[in-house]
Amino acid sequence: MITFKIVTPNGVTYEDEIEKVTIPTGDGEITVLENHAPLVSTLVPGAVFVHKNGQIVHLAVSTGILEIRPNSEVYLLADTSERAEDIDVERAEAARARAEKMMKEKDALADVDFVRIQAMIERETARIGVAKKYRDVK
Amino acid sequence: MAVNAKIIKRRIKSVTNTKKMTKAMEMISAVKMRKAVETVLNTRLYARLGRELMEHLAHLNEPNVPLLEQRPVKKVLAIIISSNRGQCGSFNANLFKKTKTIFADIESLTSFRSEQGIIPSQEKDVEIDVLAVGKKSVSFSKKQGYTVVAVFDELSEKPSYDDIRPIANMAMEGFIGKTYDKVVIAFTEYQSSLSQDAKVRQLLPFSSRELEKMTAEIAKHEIKEDVVEDEYPIEGYLFEPGLDTIVEEVLPRLVEMQLYQGILESSASEHSARMVAMKNASENAGDMITELNLTYNKARQAAITQEIAEIAGGAAALE
Repeated sequence: MITFKIVTPNGVTYEDEIEKVTIPTGDGEITVLENHAPLVSTLVPGAVFVHKNGQIVHLAVSTGILEIRPNSEVYLLADTSERAEDIDVERAEAARARAEKMMKEKDALADVDFVRIQAMIERETARIGVAKKYRDVK
Repeated sequence: MAVNAKIIKRRIKSVTNTKKMTKAMEMISAVKMRKAVETVLNTRLYARLGRELMEHLAHLNEPNVPLLEQRPVKKVLAIIISSNRGQCGSFNANLFKKTKTIFADIESLTSFRSEQGIIPSQEKDVEIDVLAVGKKSVSFSKKQGYTVVAVFDELSEKPSYDDIRPIANMAMEGFIGKTYDKVVIAFTEYQSSLSQDAKVRQLLPFSSRELEKMTAEIAKHEIKEDVVEDEYPIEGYLFEPGLDTIVEEVLPRLVEMQLYQGILESSASEHSARMVAMKNASENAGDMITELNLTYNKARQAAITQEIAEIAGGAAALE
């Protein structure tokens, strides 16, 4: 069993003993099983699939840090994270559209703004993806 | 005598008004405190995991990582997190007292702590620049003669992660650009609504020793079952996609995290301190009103007695 936690600045969003988990990292998607080697990696916006007792829990995460400690402890330090069923697709899509519009309007954007909007678009895209997939499965 | 009673009456009125005000402030602070404390408790686990990771990374024996570099300390950047407004008891005073004590001890300020013990420094003089968060730390720094390089006094009650990014960036740029050789952060740690602890901690370069201490402190009032793990070597860790990416992306994030936590802790402490101070003020005002009422009644009674005595005296004189 893996001790798995998703921690954000707003508290712990997921915490359980699980069998395996798929995580989107800066180096591509990885699946972590028990007794994984200690690892530090970056988290990119995407979907996390938590496998437990044959059930799969879908979660959306945004950027952050992934740390795997010895003794099968996996911690995701994410900026934001949500369960798929909690995502409001319409609002997520509206947020993405807004961000994309902002991106188009301001070509000569300051770097910081550009990066931020880019991150926003990625985050919303990830959320929409997770929510839609969850719906389809259901 | 009659004049005296009037004056007392006026004072009673003024103290009653003050009491109303302090009572209102107490209630507002109580609400703000509840929110701030909730936020800070939610963030604690996040910050703690981040710190533990930071602590491991501090063991990295990589000379080329700018954020880990230890060099002779000539100039220090102090991020002092105070409140914007007063009326919060000894909240700011405690923080400044602690800051002053620590900055006075130049030897300790300029040396580095590590597993091998303290690396002493030869620096006799150190220049201190202040990055002020909150208006009160500006006036403190000016009084102490520190240069204030930047002021952030418009943070909201519940600062978001984006709000503190400029502060963190400034600190990191100053450190990487070698303007500053050490960055410390002075904030107030929230223990309970009755006790807050002023703390000064090293932010940059990463230091494992101080962080360990810090983690232990956090663990103390962590309600969850989490225990601080044993040391395990950082050499056994894998870094994906590579150490460079980790250094570039993760380290700044950890610095931000720590700063964020410091600001939240300070905010929770500020509101608690203000609530308690205002509660005391209301109680004192209440005591004062009771006392003034007593004096007023005495004066009134004395005036009546005197008047009767005068009338009786006058009547006696007529007979």
